[in-house]
Amino acid sequence: MDDFHTSQPIFVQIRQRLTEMILRGAVGEGEALPSVRQIAADLSVNPLTVTKAFEALVDVGVVEKRRGLGMFVKTGARAELLAHERDKFLKEDWPRIAAQIKALDLDLQTLLSSSTATKGAEK
Amino acid sequence: MTELSSAPLETIEPIVSARGLRKSFGRKEILHGLDFDIPAGRIYGLIGHNGAGKTTTLNAMLGLTNCEGTIRVLGEDPFARRAKLMENVAFISDVASLPRFLRVRELFALLTNIHPNFSQEKARSFLEGTDIKPEMKIKHLSKGMIAQLHLAVVMAIDAKLLVLDEPTLGLDITYRKRFYRRLLEDYMTEERTLLITTHQVDEIEFMLSDIMFIRDGELILHMQMETVNDKFTQLVVNDPEQQAAARQHGPVYEETRFGQTVMIFDGVERDLLEPYGKLSTPTLSDLFVALMQRPTANPETAQ
Repeated sequence: MDDFHTSQPIFVQIRQRLTEMILRGAVGEGEALPSVRQIAADLSVNPLTVTKAFEALVDVGVVEKRRGLGMFVKTGARAELLAHERDKFLKEDWPRIAAQIKALDLDLQTLLSSSTATKGAEK
Repeated sequence: MTELSSAPLETIEPIVSARGLRKSFGRKEILHGLDFDIPAGRIYGLIGHNGAGKTTTLNAMLGLTNCEGTIRVLGEDPFARRAKLMENVAFISDVASLPRFLRVRELFALLTNIHPNFSQEKARSFLEGTDIKPEMKIKHLSKGMIAQLHLAVVMAIDAKLLVLDEPTLGLDITYRKRFYRRLLEDYMTEERTLLITTHQVDEIEFMLSDIMFIRDGELILHMQMETVNDKFTQLVVNDPEQQAAARQHGPVYEETRFGQTVMIFDGVERDLLEPYGKLSTPTLSDLFVALMQRPTANPETAQ
């Protein structure tokens, strides 16, 4: 988890992790997110990088800054994020995955049975 | 950065500012005229080989050496106004030593007497959770404990600029991690500036907001980390034909390890490189190696 050397900037990866926390319900609506300082220390990253990740979530409208108190998850954030992430998946990830499915000549039946099989294996 | 634009006016002035900074020892010139500004609220990494001029540059900032050219720290000339400046500047030198014959509490008492901005209370709180106790003699502490104590001391000084010259040298990985964690957790704020030199640059690269590479007394790179990520690209390419094609884009560095060729590009669009292989941002140590081997720091004459 300390390996940030992928094609994505670190602030994007931190934003992604915060997004996941909200989607999973690890931090509920109206609750406080970990502080910039806490995250910076935990991950050994620059506080400005963490601030940038928070700002990206403020821009989407799912997180708000309460002066002197920190960052809070806004009401309705989960639904909003879910819509945002779905939209992002369909626009950015799905075309690539769909192309790969096509290239590998996979049919729906095979895909569905293989995904239920892995689910079973996980349990 | 939006954080800086909303900062109060007085913090806009750079914390450190150098113009034409030169230093010679005898006939040998060590610094060949450095120009740089370090703004507030940032974490700077100063990186260079042994003997490149890092410590001399730090000494100039701390007023420990007299240089040609201009250097201002918090608006003051550090060499002329050293005593005043030290109220707002804290420092761990690479040859740092604390008086070995003192006990920890005696050291704190001494510092309370000689330093106006030292808080004994803070220093003690920073030692909570460590194995260091006030009654211990400094000479009985391990190397890692001395580093912890030293950090506790400098963090207990309410300074605007903290300079750390190889602060984790000789410490094991656990102590090094703890050291940097402490700094981020308890020291760093938007008003404070941190300047670090280290050879273990990969350990702190994500902590840094800016880097300065110094080579043979010259500043060959001074850049925000964000810009580094945009500007430099590392490409791993295996196929010889693809290698030849990628080479057309003028890599600043090329190396073959284990039959894999790694190239580093400066200012080449990632879209152009994408077809040849796997792209990433080079680690700071890879970038450092690449730029140190360039015949000249000036890209126009490098080819």
